[in-house]
Amino acid sequence: MTLWFIRGLRRGVVTTRYPARPDPSARFLPTPPAFRPRALTRETAGRLAATCPSGALRLDDLTLVYDVGRCTACGRCAAEAPAAVQSSGEFELAATVRSELIKRIPLRETS
Amino acid sequence: MTAEELQETIARQFGRSLHIRTLDTGSCAVCEQEIRLLAAPHYDLQRLGFFFTPAPRHADLLLVTGPMIRAFEVAARKTYDAMPGPKIVVATGACALGGVYPADPFTHGTVDAVLPVDVWIPGCPPSPLALLQGLGVAVGRLAGKVRDLPFTVDDDPERTRGDS
Amino acid sequence: MTPLDFLYAAAAAWITAALVGVLAARTAGGLLACCAVSALGGVAAAAGGGWSLVYGDTPVVSPGGATVVGGPLQLQATSLAGVFTALLGVVAVAIAWYAPRYHTPSGGTALYVAAYNVALLGCLAVLTAGGMVTFLVAWETMSLACYLLILRHPRAFPVARGAFWFLALSEAGFLLVVAAFVILSAKTGYTTLAGISAHSELVPGGWRAAAYLLALTGFGFKAGLVPLHVWLPEAHPVAPADGSAFLSGVVVKMGVYGIALFAFRLAPPAGAWPGLVTMGGGAVTAAIGILYAMAERDIKKFLAYSTIENTGIIVTAFGAAMIFHASGQRALWAFLLIAGIYHVANHGCYKTLLFLEAGVTEHATGTRDMDRLGGLVHRLPRSAVIAFVGTLGIAALPPLNGFVSEWLIFQGLFQGFRTGSHLTGILIVLAAGILGLTGGLAVYAFVRGFGIPYLGMPRTRQAAAASDDGQPAGGPALLAVACVALAVGAPVVLYALGKAARTVTGVTLGPLLLPGNLTVIPAHTDFAAFSPTYLAVFLTCALAVPLLIYLAGRPRAGSASVPVWDGGIVSFKPRMQYSAMTFSAPTRVTFNALYRPSISVSRPSDDDPAGRSGPVHYEAQVTPAFQRYLYRPLVRCLEWLADLVRPMQSGDVNLYLLYVFAVILLAYLLGAV
Repeated sequence: MTLWFIRGLRRGVVTTRYPARPDPSARFLPTPPAFRPRALTRETAGRLAATCPSGALRLDDLTLVYDVGRCTACGRCAAEAPAAVQSSGEFELAATVRSELIKRIPLRETS
Repeated sequence: MTAEELQETIARQFGRSLHIRTLDTGSCAVCEQEIRLLAAPHYDLQRLGFFFTPAPRHADLLLVTGPMIRAFEVAARKTYDAMPGPKIVVATGACALGGVYPADPFTHGTVDAVLPVDVWIPGCPPSPLALLQGLGVAVGRLAGKVRDLPFTVDDDPERTRGDS
Repeated sequence: MTPLDFLYAAAAAWITAALVGVLAARTAGGLLACCAVSALGGVAAAAGGGWSLVYGDTPVVSPGGATVVGGPLQLQATSLAGVFTALLGVVAVAIAWYAPRYHTPSGGTALYVAAYNVALLGCLAVLTAGGMVTFLVAWETMSLACYLLILRHPRAFPVARGAFWFLALSEAGFLLVVAAFVILSAKTGYTTLAGISAHSELVPGGWRAAAYLLALTGFGFKAGLVPLHVWLPEAHPVAPADGSAFLSGVVVKMGVYGIALFAFRLAPPAGAWPGLVTMGGGAVTAAIGILYAMAERDIKKFLAYSTIENTGIIVTAFGAAMIFHASGQRALWAFLLIAGIYHVANHGCYKTLLFLEAGVTEHATGTRDMDRLGGLVHRLPRSAVIAFVGTLGIAALPPLNGFVSEWLIFQGLFQGFRTGSHLTGILIVLAAGILGLTGGLAVYAFVRGFGIPYLGMPRTRQAAAASDDGQPAGGPALLAVACVALAVGAPVVLYALGKAARTVTGVTLGPLLLPGNLTVIPAHTDFAAFSPTYLAVFLTCALAVPLLIYLAGRPRAGSASVPVWDGGIVSFKPRMQYSAMTFSAPTRVTFNALYRPSISVSRPSDDDPAGRSGPVHYEAQVTPAFQRYLYRPLVRCLEWLADLVRPMQSGDVNLYLLYVFAVILLAYLLGAV
């Protein structure tokens, strides 16, 4: 009991201070992707929509409809088109309205 | 009661003491593992005034995971009905938000089909930090950020590091 | 005008009812007439019995110099028999109210109601017997009439077996009772009970003890003391419901009356050990009775074992009374007599009620098996309410009558320290402990006995289809009212019983029992006090408190009404409920050594080489310990003795002539000596 107490004192407080202070371990979390519109040709967007296994990406006229809620952060879209996709680093994604999670990414206009 | 008054009531009633009832409507249980971590010393949701309770009669917030399989619909409805008002429903995990499983004869695909959801927390699984942020948004202690996040990167494609 | 006149009227009514029954009960009108006359007799008997409690003993009369087999007909209405007679009357009225709707008029029913009224007459004669011969003849009449009662549907084997057990053990008991009476009357020289009682000092101590033990065993066969109880679970399930009710409510009490007669009125034995034997036997009977009841699925067998338990309680009270008498505590002697007799009245009321309700259930659903019933509270609401009152009574829950009489018995037993001897004090407390165990098990057993058939969901279609239409309700309702009256009116009852006890024991308990303000005090003012009347009023008022809280604290905001939280189960199946046997499983596991169940389990995978699974068949049988280890060896012994003697009856005429010659020679030689 005493050993446990002393060990605990030496280790210090391990509880995170989140949400009052940012948590250092948050850097390593897998997060949904962010897209580079300049690299998103229509053909690339089509490939990305086909690759997404969970239906988060959909090609719609001139936009890529991206449902953040459906994303599982699997990384397949980033592997498919690394120039267009990179991890967003955002994990604070709670929304009170479902439509806040649906992002419309404009495609690169090709003439 | 206007939306602001409702928010204020919720913040006043639940802001410092909230009882959470988790509901698994057919998930793979990884969301449950993350939820369980919330009670562990590293995240410790009790320091924020949140507690888990198994009885819906004592619960203020229903934390739902899983794609709402049809076989569970009655039980989910009964759990929701058994909670006294005011109550909040939080759907968390990609399955609950409509991803992974489409609507088919066995699942609804999204929790929204059966229960009225107030807060959505994406993730697969949502990390405990994301869950804490979501719970904070649900009780009005934190402001939601995702509306203003564009999820786009606006630098020059030629100048980006082309990692494959 | 004495109470005996009322009892004459009752006897006349019952003789008339028997005649009307055998002649006319083939039709519905005849059956109704027979029952009406029987009910009138019951009213007269109840009035006479109640009056004789306070009147005292009437003188012995021999009406018209009539004779019964072997001797004069001698009648006397005593206060000891008063409660039993009153109980007989009330039960007769209840059963008469119940029978017309229960039985279908036919030739069998005609004989049945005639036999029933003869049995009533026999019981009345036993209770008013003033002489030994009258008593014994009446006893046999009652036994034979009850045998005919049980044999209402003789074609089924269990009926014949149940009736046979009843008759065989009845006759065995009768022999012992005759022996006991013969001893007493030979030693005192009197054949009237009053004469024997007045001259009991002529009986030496050893003979007294012998007579008492013979009487305890002989009457114990009828009362249902363990191990003499075997006929009860065999005969009760197979008799018609009102027959079982009569057997349990009255006939068993005749055995108790016989024990009380020999323990308190005729030559009571000296010393503490007869009382210790009685008390010990009673306590063991109570415990074993309720333990076997826990393992029964058949409602009537369950109630039969409960009767055994209650007989044990009454006999324990009588035994403790005898011990207190032997150690000079006269107040406690009279008090425990009162408590025991009070329990007789209470048990008669609620056990009869429960058997009648079991009959209603059997008629409505077609089965006596608890595991095939369920949810009857919605389908048989009247029966459920009445049965609930009876269940509260028998489980000895306040404020009903079972609680009052058991409280009195316990308070008497707890004062065991007043006997001078440490050993008897400890044994009395031990008996109280065993009674406490049986009390707790009785609550458990009757939660099961009421909860499984009446509450929950119906387990079979027959239970779901049950209906209250046309089922008798008046008789059981009357008994339910009697239960409540015996509880709330406890001061009145105790006053009357106090008077009766004074006649029997000579001890005046009046001032010690009820100090004027409706409170009961167990014989000594420094021990305990309790008021059944106030308790009943208080409990009724206490029910108003939650109501008031609700009315005051109801939320004014809108509220939604949603089903009870049940864990989210989609649909309840009846098989998800407790069954009768699983509910009693903890008791059966704990007392495994008593039940020694023989368990057989067969799984389909036992025979299947591929090990495929399927329904598992599980069967558990409680070992009938007394039949197997006591009665069957005795019967085999008798058969062996008979085999030894059989060569005498070889059928050879020459051998018989030799016997004749040998006997004549012997007579000549003896005459010459």
